[in-house]
Amino acid sequence: MLDTNFTPRTFPPVPTTAPLQPKRWTASKIYANIVLVVLGLFFVTPMVWLVAASLDKQASWQLKAPELTLSNFAEAMQFDYMRALGNSLLLSLIASAVATVAAFFAAYSFSRHHIPWKGPILLTILFLSGVPITILIVPIYKMFSYMDWLSIMPTALLLGVTSLPFEIYMIKNSIDAIPLDLEESAMIEKAGTVAVLWRIILPLTMPGIASAAILGFVNAWGSFLVPVVLISDFSEQPSPVRMYGFMNSVQIHYGAIAAYSILYSLPVVALYLLMSKSFRNGFVLGGAVK
Amino acid sequence: MTTQVEGLGPSKALGKRLDKARFNPVSVLLLSPSIVLLATLFAFPIAYAIYLGFTNLQLIGPHSIHYQFTGLQNVWTLLADKEFIRSLWLTLIFVVASGAVGATLLGMMMAIAMQECLPVVRLVVNGLAIVAWTLPPSTIAIIWYAAATHNGIVPMILGHPDYDLLYDKALLVVSIANSWSLAGLATIMFAAALRNIPRDIDEAAMLENASPRQRLMYLTIPLLKPTIETSALLMMLLTFGNFTLIYLMTAGGPGNDTNILPVYSYLQGFSFHKLGYAALLGNVIVILSGLLGGTFVLLTKRR
Repeated sequence: MLDTNFTPRTFPPVPTTAPLQPKRWTASKIYANIVLVVLGLFFVTPMVWLVAASLDKQASWQLKAPELTLSNFAEAMQFDYMRALGNSLLLSLIASAVATVAAFFAAYSFSRHHIPWKGPILLTILFLSGVPITILIVPIYKMFSYMDWLSIMPTALLLGVTSLPFEIYMIKNSIDAIPLDLEESAMIEKAGTVAVLWRIILPLTMPGIASAAILGFVNAWGSFLVPVVLISDFSEQPSPVRMYGFMNSVQIHYGAIAAYSILYSLPVVALYLLMSKSFRNGFVLGGAVK
Repeated sequence: MTTQVEGLGPSKALGKRLDKARFNPVSVLLLSPSIVLLATLFAFPIAYAIYLGFTNLQLIGPHSIHYQFTGLQNVWTLLADKEFIRSLWLTLIFVVASGAVGATLLGMMMAIAMQECLPVVRLVVNGLAIVAWTLPPSTIAIIWYAAATHNGIVPMILGHPDYDLLYDKALLVVSIANSWSLAGLATIMFAAALRNIPRDIDEAAMLENASPRQRLMYLTIPLLKPTIETSALLMMLLTFGNFTLIYLMTAGGPGNDTNILPVYSYLQGFSFHKLGYAALLGNVIVILSGLLGGTFVLLTKRR
């Protein structure tokens, strides 16, 4: 929109887009609202069951007005299930840390250095980030069982590696956005690579790095196939595997499943919200480049 | 930086040419963690899987330790395997219908409708789609299982509470669940693309008395074509990798009705103990995702 404050009084008013867009209900506007409300119902309906069942004393697969209780959450907070959540947290934190640290160094090098065959290498990395993880399961299972590694730590390492390609790509994109001048002036002041990375690149790419780290975390948090195959000890299993056990048990506690799903999903939803905020506040390069 | 001044040529006094980018030894140090990790836990396993695909490796029993190279035997089994052909076909339907068409169409409809609706409706519906996208796969599997099984919400809406939709139309249900979970991402992509379309094109069309329908069909959608292509391919890639949703909802059943390739490979390996054959199925997945990924990269490069 044009800022009308800057229009001198003597001139005729600057034609804006406003007259073309009358503020009344046109057929297409009504139609757009109806479409969106229908889509909104489509998105919300399956979620309603989750919330209702989690608060229902007599929960089943059926959607009905809940007989309010918090006992489902109490049941979902038993030691076993909380330990599974703790395992998920450990798995995801390690995976995300491994991937983000390795990706940060690699991304800087890809962004700033001359590397032979850089184009093809980056394309390969982009390609790797799209490969379904299913294909790694058989060979990794064979490798890990041979090395007696079927436990939580190596699994976390593997989950980190699966998010490494896209983290490299994401962080490289945010380093690319930083003007070279800052580093050049630092280098004239005899700053080494470590100082440049630590003092300039890291603070300026923090939003990008945080987003990459969050995506790495979420990737590991949601993974079901990798832990179910690669973690042999049941007490080390993360939440998704626990939920699978929940669904296949003889007596299904619908309310507890729903409550546990909510506890398990909330951190991820919260992280995404956090990330979208850091995206919006984005790059604060203000004044650094004159 | 690397532009060379015509006629000057390299200076003899300096040992190195400064006008050419040189290899910085620090890069080796910076790249080594990623290279080691990707080589040992990504590249090597893929290469190893290619080999394992041509062996008779088993999960348990004598062939779990003493397995051997069996040449093309697995390939002949594969080509004669009716379940594999069916699985390939189901994968194609699932990936194209649910990913390329379903999720992309939902995202496009959302983004276009969001342009012309009440702010409060936009905020709520967009928020719901984003939450659906952020939910972990196992939660999505559980809520859609609850919605589609007998006494669930969807059969109730359809007026037959006892009807087990998940059993009867399993592929349809998992396809809808998958589209539902990806639509939020597609919406973000389309909303960003729509913001980049200059308003004046639309205004010019309005001055020519084009109807909203005409503007949508002959302006907005053609202008969105690059986004449609990118979104369709990305959604296909994401759908292809969506093992958890199907495995938790149906485990490939009923009667192998939702047995897409990743699920079939897992079942062959870890339920029927044929790890060698599972690895070969994995190789087929690599080839297919390679084709998809290659197309995606080509398309992105072209712009």
